[in-house]
Amino acid sequence: MYVLDQNEVVFGCRKGLVAAVKEMDRSGAEAVMLISTCIPEVIGEDLECMIREMQPDIKAKLSIVRIGHFKCNSHPSGIWKTLVAYGDLMEDADTRSDTVNVLGRGPDGDHPPMPKLLKELSDRGFRLRFLAPGSGIDDFIAAPDASLNLVVSQFMNPLADMMSQRYGISAVSLHETYDVEGIDLLHSSVADALNISWDSEFKEQREKAAALQKQAADVFRGTQFVMTRENMLMPLPLAAYLSELGMIPALIHMEEYYPDDKKWAKVLIEKGHDPLVCHMVNEETDAKAIELVGPDISFGEIPRSSGKIRCVCDMQDLYGCIGYERTIALLERMLTVLNRRNGTEA
Amino acid sequence: MGLCRFRPPMSGRMGILWTLASLKDAAAVEYGCMGHMMYGRVFLNRAGLSEGARLYSTHIDETDISMGDTKRLDRVICEIISNDRPKAVFLLPSSVPMVIGTDLAALSRELQPEYPDVPIIPFGRGSFDVHGCDGVRDALTTLAETLPEDTGIDPDPKFNIIGSCADMFRFGADARETVRIMRGAFGLNPLCIMTSDASVDDIRKMGGARVNLVMRREGEKAAACLNKRFGTPCVSGRPYGVEGTLEWIEAVAEALGISPDQEFIRSEKTECLRRLAYAAPMVRHILRSHPDEAAVSLGGHADVVKGILGYAVGEVGLKKGACWCDCPGMASEDIPYLSENEWTEAVRPYGNGLLMANAEVLMHFGCNQNLQISNPDTRWRVNPYEPPFVGFRGALNLADLWFNAMLEKN
Repeated sequence: MYVLDQNEVVFGCRKGLVAAVKEMDRSGAEAVMLISTCIPEVIGEDLECMIREMQPDIKAKLSIVRIGHFKCNSHPSGIWKTLVAYGDLMEDADTRSDTVNVLGRGPDGDHPPMPKLLKELSDRGFRLRFLAPGSGIDDFIAAPDASLNLVVSQFMNPLADMMSQRYGISAVSLHETYDVEGIDLLHSSVADALNISWDSEFKEQREKAAALQKQAADVFRGTQFVMTRENMLMPLPLAAYLSELGMIPALIHMEEYYPDDKKWAKVLIEKGHDPLVCHMVNEETDAKAIELVGPDISFGEIPRSSGKIRCVCDMQDLYGCIGYERTIALLERMLTVLNRRNGTEA
Repeated sequence: MGLCRFRPPMSGRMGILWTLASLKDAAAVEYGCMGHMMYGRVFLNRAGLSEGARLYSTHIDETDISMGDTKRLDRVICEIISNDRPKAVFLLPSSVPMVIGTDLAALSRELQPEYPDVPIIPFGRGSFDVHGCDGVRDALTTLAETLPEDTGIDPDPKFNIIGSCADMFRFGADARETVRIMRGAFGLNPLCIMTSDASVDDIRKMGGARVNLVMRREGEKAAACLNKRFGTPCVSGRPYGVEGTLEWIEAVAEALGISPDQEFIRSEKTECLRRLAYAAPMVRHILRSHPDEAAVSLGGHADVVKGILGYAVGEVGLKKGACWCDCPGMASEDIPYLSENEWTEAVRPYGNGLLMANAEVLMHFGCNQNLQISNPDTRWRVNPYEPPFVGFRGALNLADLWFNAMLEKN
């Protein structure tokens, strides 16, 4: 962290920052990402110009993220802007047909479980490069050699767009689609992009997802739902899917509204839905408002509520999941909640 | 300040927040960006303070900054007072309003007539070059100047603790040990533990105490203010070690004009000395055979470092290693303020000895994390019943930590 003092707020912090970057370079940093916070943005410090001037004399790769917090309403924009800044560190490379970037999943750990699609690609000899905040800087630098970007997190779409424009890498966004037919199309897109064809690898999962989808449509048709801040999934694509099952969106929490959301908002409106959209921050007031709306089910817990509204809990478990298995997990949870309401075990 | 490898020292704004956030029945409103108070709440939860003031930030956007519009602050205060009905509203600064010159004091004066029953109190010290200790001092002083009422002396003799705040590592345990000693030695109960375990009403009644116990130097101005208004005597300092605690009790007795319960003191002292005596031969052996392992280096709040050093060297017989405080304004010849690079170098010659500092320093040197005495912390403090560092039980706890750390090295 670089701590500004009073003089730097008045006269600018360029001199001190240049010295700091040089010190980090001398200490062997491979890359230095400058994150410009509120005050440098208010005083108009031109850090972009500074790093361009410095780069020829600095071994470390420099990039900048501008996140004066008064320019946004929540944390997601900070995450995706930082991830886009990783793109500035990338280096041109020849395309390797066997390499696929997975945007939004870290290289370590089993949580969430490895999606079947990725397992299948790995089994077929594709080298998967996992790019997420826990990845090594070398992985980001080398990322332009991939033949395809698979996006499994909403925070990664802007980086995928940037890589598409700058390096011509096509991307398939896997995290916004829940319906079985939509997932079929995504699998086809992946196969086309990698010049492979699928056999019956996903048959069992697909059949289970399709059966649950039919059951859910029968059971949930006409029920009202809300989404709280405990829902970690992109709210509008999920709301669009639920509305396909005949459910009615009543109130949706959104951390921020992004260009990607426009198409999903359009889908909802075309289906005749125009739910209340808000940014929940005060648990007590939010709980009262949600209970006033009176939905049948909530996606995400409602802290400090009376407990009357049934909730699909632990939605964060589904973050980073994709494909039929996520649809299965979501629908099973929904049916479990409903069965509890009816006094029977799932 | 410039480049920091570790977490930078506490800012004035955070000093204010961590002092005020524990006050029950209050609302703390920051005129600043969305999210600030959410991170503040996470720190407080991690420190074990899940109850206390309701924390709010107004959020500000580019228009507010360029036009200097503060209407959202008016709306927030109106909503909070009508919905939450707090007994006091604290207005906190943040960096952007300080840079653009938002006058929180003037705003609070404008708003106050609309809410005559709820004091709206502005706090400064959100600017740059303001250290956390200045924020703590200002917050304690402002509370002591604005909230206490003329309630008269409480018929049931009581005392106040001033300066037990969430920024101090293990603040709760130290306050509890202080209360235990005051009950045992003088039969006095606490009136207000300012601020880690207090409500707005407790602050209002502070003038009814027989004595103010100032646990850190930032509280001395608040104690002086209470002394001037209510005539309450005060005792400054933290009781460390057996002898140190006995001296502190004597000072409290003098301030109260009463004698402490000799049976309680004899029992506590005997118990401590008996237990320490068993370990004394081991300490003497290490001092003779491995003197470099008996040096204790300390980094943290100046009052904590001074107190623990006094016990370690004066009573237990350890040697002084590198000692430093984390606030430039508290530096002395014995305990200077050291920058990151300075303390990194200063500690190196005492690498075989005992190091007590914040969690990041201990992690950096690969040292025993149980020897943490200051913040920043890296753990979630769920258990509020950890042993203290002050008082008789603190003396045993510190000795236990030192002896076992030395044993592990051997």
